[in-house]
Amino acid sequence: MNLAIESVSNDSYHLLVLEGDIDTKTAPELFEALNQLELASIGDLRIDMNSVGFMSSAGLRALLFAKQKMSNLNRLILIGANNEIIEVITKTGLSDAVMLVTSHDEI
Amino acid sequence: MQIDRIDSLPTEDIGGFRIRPGKPLPFGVSHVPNGLNFSVYTSSGVGCTLVLFNRGEEKPFAELPFPDSYRIGDVFCMVVFGLNYEDLEYGFRIEGPFKPESGHRHDPTKILMDPYARLISGRDVWGEMPDWQNSYPYRARVSFDDFDWEGERPLEIPPEDLIIYEAHVRSFTQSSTSGVKHPGTYAGLVEKIPYLQNLGINAIELMPIYEFDEFENTRIHPETSERLYNYWGYSTVGFFAPKASFAATGRYGMQVDEFKQLVKSFHKAGIEVILDVVFNHTAEGNEQGPTLSFKGLDNKTYYMLTPEGYYFNFSGTGNTLNCNNPVVRALVLDCLRYWAAEYHIDGFRFDLASILGRDPWGAPLSNPPLLESLAFDPILSSCKLIAEAWDAGGLYQVGTFPAFGRWGEWNGKYRDCLRRYLKGDSGMVGELAQRVQGSPDLYQANGRSPATSINFITCHDGFTLADLVSFNDKHNEANGEGNRDGGNDNYSWNCGVEGWSEDPEIQRLRQRQSINALAMLLTCRGTPMLLMGDEIGRSQLGNNNAYCIDSAVSWLDWTLLKTNVNLHHVTAGLVHFRHQHPALRVNSFDGQSSSLLPSCSFHGTKPWTPDWSSESRQLAWMMSVDIKQTKASEQKGEEVDIIYVATNMAHYASWFEIPEAPKGYSWILYFNTGDQKEQYYQKGVLLADSGLLVGERSIVILCASATGTGLP
Repeated sequence: MNLAIESVSNDSYHLLVLEGDIDTKTAPELFEALNQLELASIGDLRIDMNSVGFMSSAGLRALLFAKQKMSNLNRLILIGANNEIIEVITKTGLSDAVMLVTSHDEI
Repeated sequence: MQIDRIDSLPTEDIGGFRIRPGKPLPFGVSHVPNGLNFSVYTSSGVGCTLVLFNRGEEKPFAELPFPDSYRIGDVFCMVVFGLNYEDLEYGFRIEGPFKPESGHRHDPTKILMDPYARLISGRDVWGEMPDWQNSYPYRARVSFDDFDWEGERPLEIPPEDLIIYEAHVRSFTQSSTSGVKHPGTYAGLVEKIPYLQNLGINAIELMPIYEFDEFENTRIHPETSERLYNYWGYSTVGFFAPKASFAATGRYGMQVDEFKQLVKSFHKAGIEVILDVVFNHTAEGNEQGPTLSFKGLDNKTYYMLTPEGYYFNFSGTGNTLNCNNPVVRALVLDCLRYWAAEYHIDGFRFDLASILGRDPWGAPLSNPPLLESLAFDPILSSCKLIAEAWDAGGLYQVGTFPAFGRWGEWNGKYRDCLRRYLKGDSGMVGELAQRVQGSPDLYQANGRSPATSINFITCHDGFTLADLVSFNDKHNEANGEGNRDGGNDNYSWNCGVEGWSEDPEIQRLRQRQSINALAMLLTCRGTPMLLMGDEIGRSQLGNNNAYCIDSAVSWLDWTLLKTNVNLHHVTAGLVHFRHQHPALRVNSFDGQSSSLLPSCSFHGTKPWTPDWSSESRQLAWMMSVDIKQTKASEQKGEEVDIIYVATNMAHYASWFEIPEAPKGYSWILYFNTGDQKEQYYQKGVLLADSGLLVGERSIVILCASATGTGLP
């Protein structure tokens, strides 16, 4: 399955809307999309995960990469990740670095 | 402008793969710009091929022979560019002689696992039946050392302040009664941290978590048809890799991160993590065993062999790792450094550690280079090193283990003495006095300290505490070996009936004996260790060697927390009492008195006159130490911490005169195991008399307080 990435910018945050699976084949695309952003200065980064079915370890590493490039003052927010993805993020400690919410309203 | 380094570019091409000569160190696989560096040692192999798989696929997608010029000394090394390392599995084929009589067992038809593999796939989900036809069953993968520790570091708690809790990852939460989301995993264990904090322990010692194969030597019980596993895991497949199927995320290959998250969570809770490591042998067995890694890489280097090329068996499990060969020694050192640096591990307990002090022909060395290297290693300098100071080849070194001032020991003599005193054997009080002080008879002469002694009454080997007071003999039929396995010298007493009893008198006595054991364990100098579940009366139905049982017999039943609520309450009380009283944790034998009293003194029913006769089953000890002046102690006006413990393992009650408390101090009673209603007085009770009646098979614990009241 392919991964579609839509990138939206506004004043206070940047939003990536993902659709598809993030696996070994597609994770480099996410990596690339993240790399294109001025991560150190974009403010909060929101990633809409509502339409992501599966995320492999490669996807988690892409998120970790983004978080490490971002300023500590800004948040990496995952919106609407499914339970399986939340589980993996929690068990492996990545939940310390990202904020997990179900919708934009919660932020 | 940034210019790429030249060595980030390939120099050659084999079979469409771009490569260049690699670096010999570090061994294993490492990340280099644009590629991966593979390095493997073999002194007797003449050729090496790198075998590459996509994850889980049966056939490799590439086999890349190392060009001759890529060999430096005995090391083959090569950088391969452009690999998708998220999904990569790799192994080696080694060409060389197959001459067992000369020690060589090379076989290029076998794909061998990298001994330095930090991530291993193949046994990703516990108990999932493997494909026995797989040409490469345990597969090395590439790990990433990018975990975010957020400034976390090892705790470095002084050894004398530790209270260790020995646990098996799967057994701790596998039972459905545990109520955790991911039973039997690292994540499940993390969920139970609040329970352990509440109990008060500050170190957890995990039974093996290095990758092992639960299906190794798997058997079906001849009568019950139950499958028997390599459940405890004392048989290592990969020394650098955490066991995948202990991770809830093992199926995603995320066990490295999940285990690091475990360590980080424990550290946040103030609990150290100690690993039980097995360097004495491997999962490859003897001549009949499989060829997985070392055997095909360099059999003669890695294993101790007889002159005829057979395997020495000092471990009792088929082979013996040749630990004092410099190459193997370096592997052990690299491994421990990796766990200490990359996983923030606080300490290691070495299974059958005496093997590590044998020379390549099996003879004990007086200054074993491996033990010395570990003791003085700069990266391991703040790690606890604990030896199981014996092996299966008959070497018993409790008290004489080559310690280099650094090593602690599981004190088997403490265990046996305390068990025998507990069950009322005669002739024990003299030895008990030594054990109470941290075993100076074993450790003082060579300059070691009380915390050298890891004091324990029960551990994974042998009866649980509940079984120790419920069985005279082992009952290991479930292990499928006709009850021949497991030790016979249990020094246990069943309190009148073998096994489960409805008799309330017997039940009460057993509970009291359990608390007596814990009360002594936690009021001795040295470092105490509790066995998982003893605080709530966990039983293995009399099985003293449940190494192969993956069932409720091994799993902790969390409903016991309700059934044995009092046992748990008193145990937690004893643990907290130990933390509050430095007199119990003094870490020197030099006998220096506190300003009011001797550091440790012994007493009988009359103060200052212990009965050392062989028929005596009573001993009291008083410990004291000057308290460092803190604001709190100044306000209370206390200068000295003073504890008095009276133990009566006779079958009759006796009146114990208590030594007079120093001027301005009065005795406060905190524990009385003989009290039927309440054994632990959390706030303390002022002792009105100059003595008290200590019931049959009972213990009392008092503290001298300057304020005449209980704890602040």
